Amino acid sequence: MKIKYIIFAGLLLMLIGAGIGLKMFFKPHADISKLKAEFKVEASALIVEFEQDENAATAKYSEKILEISGNLVSKNKLPNGTDLLVLHDEMQGISCQLDSIWAANNQTTIEALETGKTVIVKGICKGYLMEIKVSPAVIVK
Amino acid sequence: MQKKLFVLVLLLVSAGAFGQSKFIAKNAYISFYSSTPMEDILGESNEAVTILNAETGEIGFQALMTTFHFKRALMEEHFNENYMESTKFPKAKFNGKITGFNKEMLKAPVANVIITGLLNVHGVEKNITVNAMLGLESGKLVGTSKFKVTPEDYGIAIPSLVRDKIGKEMEITVKATYLPFGN
Repeated sequence: MKIKYIIFAGLLLMLIGAGIGLKMFFKPHADISKLKAEFKVEASALIVEFEQDENAATAKYSEKILEISGNLVSKNKLPNGTDLLVLHDEMQGISCQLDSIWAANNQTTIEALETGKTVIVKGICKGYLMEIKVSPAVIVK
Repeated sequence: MQKKLFVLVLLLVSAGAFGQSKFIAKNAYISFYSSTPMEDILGESNEAVTILNAETGEIGFQALMTTFHFKRALMEEHFNENYMESTKFPKAKFNGKITGFNKEMLKAPVANVIITGLLNVHGVEKNITVNAMLGLESGKLVGTSKFKVTPEDYGIAIPSLVRDKIGKEMEITVKATYLPFGN
């Protein structure tokens, strides 16, 4: 009788374990639009921070969610269809690649964006390579 | 005042004479691929930066490790935390030169070239020579390359439990569409 319970408990544990394992394996990517930004910054101030001390700024912002407001200087589509927004400066500004799922559902918002106007984006800061890389990102306003 | 003007004119003239001496791609594609019996592992970044010097044929590439995206969030986590140690080594870099470079290569249709240089991944630097394609494609300067690297060569430890399941070499694909870049 007792052995039955032990077998049952063992099987149950295995099932739970397998469940957790599978859940971790199939864990979806983070949905940026639902996550809260850790930092709210101005594009120009963020660029200055990276230019002055890249290592410190990388340590502070890399892999963190940032809400950045700045002047939209260009709006493009990459060959793979990803929407790309560049803030502040075309060459040494902030490059934001939009989240593909979010972008697919919000094409009208993207199309309505005008260069030369202020835009607020939220996304994961990846670091600095001539410009600040933010991806994936979504448009807040 | 006149001297300043003279310098300015000289600068403008020289900029015009040498033209676009550099080409840049800020959203170059890099992927690495490995086939496993379970499923294929493909990490892709569209955020690599590359500069090509049109005078010397020197070519530089940089990519932030955290910009590689995977199908599964867990793969991305393992890639950054366990294998590449992206916090410690945030960038992969390549600095090299096109063998037998001449400026005509940049004006001709896409053709085979050989590039030799130093690849720095995970803080380890190695000399590599790769086959690439470079030249004009619908009016734009395009560079592509496909080559193989062995993770262990770059001090990337893969646990023995999964080592047999992942191919010994990873296939790296690079694609860049260059734009002329002033100065």
